[in-house]
Amino acid sequence: MTRARRYLRQTLTIARRDFTATVFTPIFLLFLFAPLIMASFGAIGGLGAANASQGSADKARLVLLLAPAEQRMVGTADTRLRALFTGDRQPPAIDARAAAGDPHQQARAAFDDARVDVAAVLYGTLDQPTILYAAGNRDDARYLAVVARQAVLTVRAGTAPLPEPRIERIVNGAPSLGGRTASSFFAVFGIFFLTLFLSGQVVGTMAEERNNKVIEVLAAAVPLESVFLGKLLGMYGVALLFVAFWATVLSQIGMLLPADIAGGLRQLHPAIGMGGFALLFGAYFTTAYLLLGSVFLGVGAQASTMREVQMLSLPITIIQVAMFALASAAVSHPDSAIATAAALFPLSSPFAMAGRAAASGGWWPHLAALAWQLMWVAIFITTGARLFRRGVLQSGSAKPAWRRLLIRG
Amino acid sequence: MASTGFAVIADGLVKRYGDRRVVDGVDLAVPAGAIYGVLGPNGAGKTTTLRMMLGIIEPDAGARILLDTAHPRDAGDRVGYLPEERGLYPSMTAREAVAFMAALRGLDWQTGRARAADLLEAAGLGHAIDAKIRKLSKGMAQLVQLLGAVVHRPELLVLDEPFSGLDPVNQERLEALILAERDRGATILFSTHVMQHAQRLCDRLAIIAGGRRRFEGTVDEARALLPQQVHYVPVRADDTLPDMLPAGARRHGEEWRFVLPTDGVEGLLKRLIDAGYGIAGLSIERPGLHDAFVRIVGRDAVAPGPDTTA
Repeated sequence: MTRARRYLRQTLTIARRDFTATVFTPIFLLFLFAPLIMASFGAIGGLGAANASQGSADKARLVLLLAPAEQRMVGTADTRLRALFTGDRQPPAIDARAAAGDPHQQARAAFDDARVDVAAVLYGTLDQPTILYAAGNRDDARYLAVVARQAVLTVRAGTAPLPEPRIERIVNGAPSLGGRTASSFFAVFGIFFLTLFLSGQVVGTMAEERNNKVIEVLAAAVPLESVFLGKLLGMYGVALLFVAFWATVLSQIGMLLPADIAGGLRQLHPAIGMGGFALLFGAYFTTAYLLLGSVFLGVGAQASTMREVQMLSLPITIIQVAMFALASAAVSHPDSAIATAAALFPLSSPFAMAGRAAASGGWWPHLAALAWQLMWVAIFITTGARLFRRGVLQSGSAKPAWRRLLIRG
Repeated sequence: MASTGFAVIADGLVKRYGDRRVVDGVDLAVPAGAIYGVLGPNGAGKTTTLRMMLGIIEPDAGARILLDTAHPRDAGDRVGYLPEERGLYPSMTAREAVAFMAALRGLDWQTGRARAADLLEAAGLGHAIDAKIRKLSKGMAQLVQLLGAVVHRPELLVLDEPFSGLDPVNQERLEALILAERDRGATILFSTHVMQHAQRLCDRLAIIAGGRRRFEGTVDEARALLPQQVHYVPVRADDTLPDMLPAGARRHGEEWRFVLPTDGVEGLLKRLIDAGYGIAGLSIERPGLHDAFVRIVGRDAVAPGPDTTA
């Protein structure tokens, strides 16, 4: 057996061990369904906020202090214009009240009504209307103004029939600028979200071998680089299982989505084509995972205790968010120096290049980027293994490399 | 099998940790098919030497040849190793643990699992084949790890302090297993600071202290470094008896011990009988490996050990 084949076999043996040791545990179910738990809490919170918001919206009013005939005209115009708004964007309901006494005083007094929240009041006549609005309700005041104007225009048009345009939905054949930009952000955010969830798992994996003292057996039988790569691939397998599970679930939910939303998703028009984009998304997710994972694995391997491993979670999150921010800036300014820097810097490269796949065509930059990123995975793994061998895998009270750097003596 | 006749050759191995030379130019030559002991007090550099020879850590200077290759990793599938710090995955079963180590050393899972079952049965752990490692006693877990080191039938078996933590019954089992491996044709290299095992098992041994090799040879050659001891019990004793015994004679209860005189013990015994001290007990004993070890490494370097005279 050649040396390369032996190392590959040993790497896969370790990957298999880590994969099964992670997946075949009750804790894995908790991990697998963590997004569901998160979504449930989000939904509960959102529902509560929506209820509070809905309750408040139900009590909001646009008050009319007009003559009865003008109130009917405004009511008709409101019915027509209100159809433009859907869902939560509906303006407050119209509350037509009889005008009496000083209209200005009456309008001012309407805002003191404790039974409802008066957003705006229209008073006077439709030829000379005045609108008062409470702070934060300028849009409602504008709506009332448009409704009043529409009411007058309708009267002036007389009985002539108004045109009824035919409305038809079309799907863009060519990728629009908006579609490409949306695809870019989708790619960057998608990979960020997945790696944020999944790559941090790698950081503590070497702690198991150190605590169980299995590392000595592994190090005698297998090159440390194979140990590191095997552990990384094992956890990548776990990540793939997680992604496959949720992709299946979400695809089934997606089939139940209303046509408008599904059509909206179809507006994601990556420049490289949907098939190629999906392929590159998967490839860049893989390299992003392996890059961040190899760095986290190398750093985590230096930690002596689980407490030290836990302390690493904050810097890890900061690194991930920083890479996301860099790649997002690159997507916003695709031809800038920051875009080039983001594509070249190993840890942000997968994010930036995924965004680029959505924004511009051409395969060669991606093949070169993937090779570049995989080279850095190899560098990170080799460096991590060497630091581990030099700093940890020796008898006596030798200190890990980072401790020797930070703590003298 | 090594074509040079040696399974392991170490030439001037040096390892420094900071300013400290933990191993300072150690030479070893382990004949193929032999049981070879590396003896030394705690902190002598035994484990570091073994680790360097296996390629776990790299020497700062010197060279090593393991099964005819200067790259120990290339011989990885032909080597079995039991480290000083025992370690197994607690969530694995005994069978999985042995099969996992077999897979690391080149066997496929199916073969590894089959051999694991056979080995566990033969070692008296048949009842624990599917038990989790965390459920096993320390001695049983140690035995499982040892089986993991031999499951791929290595040409070279390296055991670092294999007897530590084992009860006498399991120590005996381990000795039997080592002898069985030697009979199979394997070379066994083990470190220990317990002399009985080395004395019973080793064909050759090296004694290391302070990072340096102080002795290399057979057990008999080590014991021959010290003169034979006379153990004498008189029928009666008084204050003048020590004057008749050779210089340096020491009393241990009723017994007196002294170095066998160069002209033999007969003349001395005649004088003792004539003086009325008589002979209630007499034996002439070769010094044990423990005594030789203490002599070689220096008394201060060694914790008190059991009497190993034979």
